Amino acid sequence: MSNELRIEGLSKTYPNGVRALQDVTLTIPTGMFGLLGPNGAGKSTLMRTIATLQEADSGSITLGDLDVLREKDAVRRILGYLPQEFGVYPRISAEAMLDHFAVLKGITNKRERREVVSALLRRTNLYEARKQSLGTYSGGMRQRFGIAQALLGNPQLIIVDEPTAGLDPGERVRFHNLLAEIGENVVVILSTHIVEDVSDLCSSMAIINGGRLLMTGEPLQSIRDLDGKVWKKMIAKEDLDDYQKNYAVISTKRITGRTLIHVWGEQQPDPSFEPVSTSLEDVYFSTLDKSAKGEEQAA
Amino acid sequence: MTWQIFKFDLKFHFRSPLFYILFVLFFLFTFGAVASDAITAGGSLGNINRNAPFVIMQLLLVMSTIFGVITATAYVANAVHRDFELNTDSLFFSSPVKKSQYLAGRFLAAFTMVALVHTGVVFAIMLGSKMPWVDQAHVGPFVLKPYLFSYFVLILPNLLLFSAIFFAVAALTRSLLWTYVSVAAFYVAYIVTRILIAFNVENRTLKSLSDPFALTPFGLDTRYWTVFEKNSKLLALNGAFLYNRILWLSVAVVLLAITFVKFRMQVASAGGGRRKAEPAEPIERIPLALPEVTRRFDLGAAWQQYRSIVRIECSAILRSIPFFVILMLAVINIALGAALGQTIFGTSVYPLTHLMVEAITNGFVFFVLIIATFYAGEIVWRERSIKLNEVNDAMPAPTWTMWGGKLTALIVMLYATLGVAVLTTVIVQLSKGYTHLEPMLYLQGVFMVDGMDVLLFAVLMFFAQIVTNNKYVGYLFAVAYIISTIALNAMHFEHRLYQVFNLPDIRYSDMNGFGHYLSQHLWFMLYWTLFAGVLLQIGHLLWARGTETAFAMRRRIARQRFNGRALATTTVLLASFAASGCYIFYNTNVLNQYRTTDQLEKVQAETEKLYKKYERLPQPRITDAQATVDIYPEKRAVEARGSYTMVNKTGAPIRDLYVTMNPDVDAFTCTVPGASIVSNDRKHGFTIYRFAQPMQPGATLQISYTTTIRNRGFQNQFRDNTVVENGTFVNNFALCPHLGYSGQGELQDPVKRKKNGLAPVIRMAKIDDKAAVMNSELSREADWINLDTTVSTSPDQMALAPGYLQKEWSENGRRYFHYKTTSPILPFWSYLSARYQVKRAMWKDIPIEIYYDAKHPFNVDRMIYSVQKSLDYYTANFSPYQHKQVRILEFPNYSQFAQSFPNTIPWSESIGFIADLRDKDSIDYVFYVGAHEVGHQWWAHQVCGGDVQGATMLTETMAQYSALMVMQKEYGREKMRKFLKYELDRYLSGRGGELVAEMPLMLVENQPYIHYRKGSLVMYALQDQIGEDRVNAALREFIRKHAFGGPPYPTTKDLVAEFRAVTPPEKQAMIDDLFETITLFDNKTTEAKSTQRADGKYVVTVTVESKKYRSSDRGAETYVPLHDMIDIGVLGPSKNKNNDNVLLIERKLITQPTMTFEMVVDKKPAKAGIDPLNILVDRNPDDNTKTVE
Repeated sequence: MSNELRIEGLSKTYPNGVRALQDVTLTIPTGMFGLLGPNGAGKSTLMRTIATLQEADSGSITLGDLDVLREKDAVRRILGYLPQEFGVYPRISAEAMLDHFAVLKGITNKRERREVVSALLRRTNLYEARKQSLGTYSGGMRQRFGIAQALLGNPQLIIVDEPTAGLDPGERVRFHNLLAEIGENVVVILSTHIVEDVSDLCSSMAIINGGRLLMTGEPLQSIRDLDGKVWKKMIAKEDLDDYQKNYAVISTKRITGRTLIHVWGEQQPDPSFEPVSTSLEDVYFSTLDKSAKGEEQAA
Repeated sequence: MTWQIFKFDLKFHFRSPLFYILFVLFFLFTFGAVASDAITAGGSLGNINRNAPFVIMQLLLVMSTIFGVITATAYVANAVHRDFELNTDSLFFSSPVKKSQYLAGRFLAAFTMVALVHTGVVFAIMLGSKMPWVDQAHVGPFVLKPYLFSYFVLILPNLLLFSAIFFAVAALTRSLLWTYVSVAAFYVAYIVTRILIAFNVENRTLKSLSDPFALTPFGLDTRYWTVFEKNSKLLALNGAFLYNRILWLSVAVVLLAITFVKFRMQVASAGGGRRKAEPAEPIERIPLALPEVTRRFDLGAAWQQYRSIVRIECSAILRSIPFFVILMLAVINIALGAALGQTIFGTSVYPLTHLMVEAITNGFVFFVLIIATFYAGEIVWRERSIKLNEVNDAMPAPTWTMWGGKLTALIVMLYATLGVAVLTTVIVQLSKGYTHLEPMLYLQGVFMVDGMDVLLFAVLMFFAQIVTNNKYVGYLFAVAYIISTIALNAMHFEHRLYQVFNLPDIRYSDMNGFGHYLSQHLWFMLYWTLFAGVLLQIGHLLWARGTETAFAMRRRIARQRFNGRALATTTVLLASFAASGCYIFYNTNVLNQYRTTDQLEKVQAETEKLYKKYERLPQPRITDAQATVDIYPEKRAVEARGSYTMVNKTGAPIRDLYVTMNPDVDAFTCTVPGASIVSNDRKHGFTIYRFAQPMQPGATLQISYTTTIRNRGFQNQFRDNTVVENGTFVNNFALCPHLGYSGQGELQDPVKRKKNGLAPVIRMAKIDDKAAVMNSELSREADWINLDTTVSTSPDQMALAPGYLQKEWSENGRRYFHYKTTSPILPFWSYLSARYQVKRAMWKDIPIEIYYDAKHPFNVDRMIYSVQKSLDYYTANFSPYQHKQVRILEFPNYSQFAQSFPNTIPWSESIGFIADLRDKDSIDYVFYVGAHEVGHQWWAHQVCGGDVQGATMLTETMAQYSALMVMQKEYGREKMRKFLKYELDRYLSGRGGELVAEMPLMLVENQPYIHYRKGSLVMYALQDQIGEDRVNAALREFIRKHAFGGPPYPTTKDLVAEFRAVTPPEKQAMIDDLFETITLFDNKTTEAKSTQRADGKYVVTVTVESKKYRSSDRGAETYVPLHDMIDIGVLGPSKNKNNDNVLLIERKLITQPTMTFEMVVDKKPAKAGIDPLNILVDRNPDDNTKTVE
């Protein structure tokens, strides 16, 4: 089953008035899909809604023929989900817990269950520690355990919410490889606020902020679109305010006491600016910047 | 800075709902106890003012003991943990706050809150006692001092101590779990040490000091306070109590100091799942290729998922510490309860299985309910609290497996605790050498009856957690539920059809099993189980799966889940629930009459209002009673046909006949020849007949009657257990009509009387009331009568009634017994029927027969022996025995007494039959009760007093005296002290509970603590002073003058006159003290020294203090000058504290408050002092002797 996930006009307002999603329409094809946005952008709300954990106020989500918002049981059968916040039963071994999850995933044959549990534990390099109680696991080990449970039962729709937040760089790379491997035939949604996660992995992406979809497309194409429009300059820290007033500054970075700014412009603003070879980061920040400016004007 | 933190924290606490919830709880609970009769804290207050200093002290102490520890912990633990939990600790600790300032501010704020919460109790008493509906006669003037004293001296130190202890634990462990575990441990430790100390420590100062709650010094000091003292006195802040306060305040200060020193100002390192990344542990570069698996989502798979959830949740509970702590508490409680059991005079009973079940019901189930409440919250919230809920809820298992698995796990664990309880009591049984374990009874009593209570409660708590979707509101719901069950009863909403999950009480008797209670219980069980099913169906719809919390969203999800199957299930459940409810209603309200306790009381009150006016109108007197009674045990039915022969013994014609009949019988007819009915009030059981020709003086009349008692179906609450399947015991008051207004059913409780518009108290007629002495204490309708009765029962049972068996035969498949008396009896008889074993013996030519249940053979021989020894003593010292047989008949434990009818003594299975007398040092109360009841064959059945003050002294006190003398003869004088100490203790504490007025013994108004307890002490002192022979001579003379006499019936004046006649002139004043006034002593030994003389003998010098005073009927004391002969004695060392080794006792004339005596003894003295054997009524009997230095 390789169906794309269609989200149409999805809106969600929390009882406290926060508008977490505003009329989001998005199509997610098979393969790795990056959902990029700062903290509080609405990513997790979107993820949870797709994962049957939350209701939407309006709009629809379909996966092939499946109405995700209504046919929750059917969605859960093909779902692998690793939420942003994730804890474990402290006094139970990884193996026993994973076995329990395997039962919940419908793997009823005991022998098969043992095989798949052991394979996943090996794959996530937890096999040596499988008898250890989960309470003694380090953050990274827990995260790997989380990945293991998400992969149980060959899911067709995998949702991982900020999965690399607690991982060191090496581990992150390996995790990406793992995801890339599974992401070939199924829908994998990777929600993150780390741009490199997306640029490394995803064939398509979306940026959301403030509950709105700001852009959607392929990372390479969007970088190409921005090519020749981003400029950089090293400035003194004190001058930053001036530059922010006068130029479309999309990002700032402190380097050895001075500040490196990236500025958006159809043309080179002035000779002191140098052209930049555009990265996804520039795409991300310029998109956020534009939307923020748009909000200001609207206000 | 401390001040800033303090202010900041106070603001924080005042914003949180906890303070308001607790304050309201404290206030309402106390207010209810003070301002209403519905809630009583420790029994009716009677004459004690609602705002008496005693009440203020007690309420504050009790509230701070029960709720104070938890309140203190909630605040101080929160003060420490709030930072760690909200991860604000780093903010606080990195800002320039000194550790001491930080801790001081935090602690002070928390402690202030704890103290403020408890002011709720203070305000509640102040306001509650001022409510307009509260009887101002029982409200003292407002005095601030008792409030201030109780608050600042009694409870603030307690609260400071609790706060300090748990502040220390919370700050040092930084774990909420361990803090609460330590609370449980604190209570366990407290209870265990109190029990150990109670049993092993004699020293009262040590007992008082070691109690951080100050309950012991309070209890010891106020134990014998009279109403007068309770209304006026405060606990004296000196001695052990003062040291107690100082000791525990110091402990609090030391603990705080330790906390301040040991507390580390650093950010907690634990917690926060993903904070640290692991060093590279590479994910292997092996191909993903996970094995192919088959997945199923059918019912079989769901079942497997359900089982897996049950397993995982059970193991989670098993691995949690509070579970074991609470279980441990419960096991200790029940082990003690089962091992010590009910004791009478310190003697325990055999650990029968039904008593073990009872111990579990009373001492264990409460803890299981706490576990149920707590873990219902834990289990429902487990995933959410560890943030596993999103993973879990996105799993493809059906929703029902999730909540169903959790609920099942909870119930499995609760049942496991019941299993532990059974194991504990079985160990107790075996350790006592008792091997009749009755597994079926355990199964029914613990796993079915208690188990269903627990199960239904667990379902309710589980449901509350789901619906409220807030753990703490869920817990609050538990509290509200418990309060509501109390409140509903208090407001007389008593029908169990709407008292949710409140199953009717079930009673078990070894004789009758669960009897008629069983089917009633099973029906209510079914009814509420179906309701539980409905709740779970609703719970299923509302079960939080996913992260939605808004109720509108949850409703939307519920609608999605409400499919055809849910509709069908709900419909079937609701229909069955309604159907079973209808069947129950048919039983409780159609087959039987449903009446609440206040309705019943109202009928009682109406009877009194309507008919008491006929009380003193002359009526004919019954001279002969004849009755045929058919008992149908399996149907719980009785049919009686009988007649009375009566004579007009008055000097005037009688125009009207008043016939009173127990209105609860199913059918009653009465035929009075030559009379017509003027009024027939079936509701109040009072019929007035008018003779066409008034009955002339000396004329004779025979009336006849029929009575039917049928117990059909079951009632909401069984009120009558007299006619049962095995062990019927019904007396003539319930079965036969009576002449005139009987007064039997009058309300006694002053509060209830007042509520129903009656005079608050009915006092007995004055001793000089010439009209009242024309009636015996037992009856107003007859003097001495003859009884001829035939009773029949099922073929496997034996039926008995007073009188001699004339004939026994079988007819129509039933057994018949014909009994007839051959000497006159008082009109008081009974019918018993059961499957009996019979043991026969003889005393001279008098047969003794014990009719007992096959399960209770233990003490039958002891009873026979007691009867023999009693007959020996009474015939030798009082008068011949008037009957030619003595029978003791066992009846079920629905009532707990033994009662003497002519030649017939019904005796409850729960006292005596199951007493464990294997320890020869214990008081043989079987022997005592036997002697007492046989004594009644003289004191009641030979001589009966007139119905005036002092009447019960003539029956009960004399039966007590008779028993004491039989016991003394059997066991010796030394052993009596142990028994008399119990009597003294019960007399003194009985005084404190007096509702109306304490009377001198000879004017006793049917007050058990006087006619039994003080009676024993007085009569023992009398014979000790003037000699047993003289007392017996007086009694012989009294019997000679009054046996089978009356009317007029004798009074205590006649008896006391006999005592005076045999008392030497110098001791006449003692008769005043013993019988005519309330006289108490306070004897004390202040110094006891000894030196060894050259001849090896010891010279013992004792200095004693003696006070003697008279008490008013409310306990106000006046001192009277001393001129009494009191024992001064020296005791040698004794192995057993209750067996004194008397070296020397001399009776000395005491005239001064302080006197010194010198005595010479041969052996080394251990103790010496005044009244060493506790012969006198002494306010503080424990300080009479002192260890000799």
